Amino acid sequence: MESYWMGLAVGIAVGVIIVAVVKLRAVKSMSMAEKADYLSKRRARTLPALVVIYLSQQVTFYSAVDPAGHEGARAVKIGAWMVLSAVLLAALTTKGFWFQPKEVRDMIDDENTRANRLDAIRYGYIAAMLMALAIYFLTQVEEQTAMETIHLILSAGLGVALVRFGYLERRAHRDA
Amino acid sequence: MWRWCGSAISNDVRIVMPERLANRIKDKRGELSLTQAELAERCGVTRKTVNTVENGVFTPSALLAIKLARALSVPVEELFWLED
Repeated sequence: MESYWMGLAVGIAVGVIIVAVVKLRAVKSMSMAEKADYLSKRRARTLPALVVIYLSQQVTFYSAVDPAGHEGARAVKIGAWMVLSAVLLAALTTKGFWFQPKEVRDMIDDENTRANRLDAIRYGYIAAMLMALAIYFLTQVEEQTAMETIHLILSAGLGVALVRFGYLERRAHRDA
Repeated sequence: MWRWCGSAISNDVRIVMPERLANRIKDKRGELSLTQAELAERCGVTRKTVNTVENGVFTPSALLAIKLARALSVPVEELFWLED
C-alpha cells in the first residue's frame, strides 16, 4: 500500500512540475485576448499528443494487472494511470488553465469552446456506452474483472471525447 | 440543406426551415479596418470564435450575435440573415 501512495505522489509531482514549467513560459507580455488565443491554440495542439500518451498507457495498465507482476510496480503503474485519467477528465470538463487569471480563463472558455466541449462529451458518452455494451457481450465468452471493465469504459469515453474536442478546436483555429 | 418541420396547424401546411445563418461580418469588419483579433477583443471572445462565426462553421447565440453587431455598429438583422 505504501508503494501505491508513492506512485500517486510521483504522478502528482510530475503534474505539478509540468504546470510550473508551462506557467513560467513567456506569455506575460501579451494582452488578455492574445494570451487567451495563444493558450487556446496551444491546447488544440497539445490535446492529440495527450490522447496518444493516454492511450499508450493501456499497455502499461495491462502489464500491471498481471498477477505475477511486482506489487510495487503494479501500484505505481495503476496509480499513474488514475492520476492521468483524473487530470484529463478535469481538463475536458472544466475551463482548464487553472493557474491563469480568471479573465483569461473566462475568455478561453467562450461560446465556441463550450459548444465544442459539449459535442466532445456527447461523443465520449456514446463511446463509453458502446464499450459497456461490447464488454457485456464479451463477458459471455471471456470473464472480465471489475477493474478491467472500468478501465476500458473510462478509456473509451475519455479517449474519444478528447480526440473529438481536439479535432473541433483545431478546426476552429484553422484560417484564424 | 432543408428540413421539413412537422406542421402543428394542419397536415396540408408545412414550413420549410433554412438551416444556415449567413453573415457579412468579414465585409463590415473590412469597412472598419478591424482584424478578427480586434473584433474578438471588443466582444470578449477569442479570435477562434469570430473566425468560426465568420466562416459559418459555428452559429452564434443571440447574445453573441448582438455583441458582434454592436461592435460593428450595425443592426443584427443587417449582419445576419437566414440563407434561402
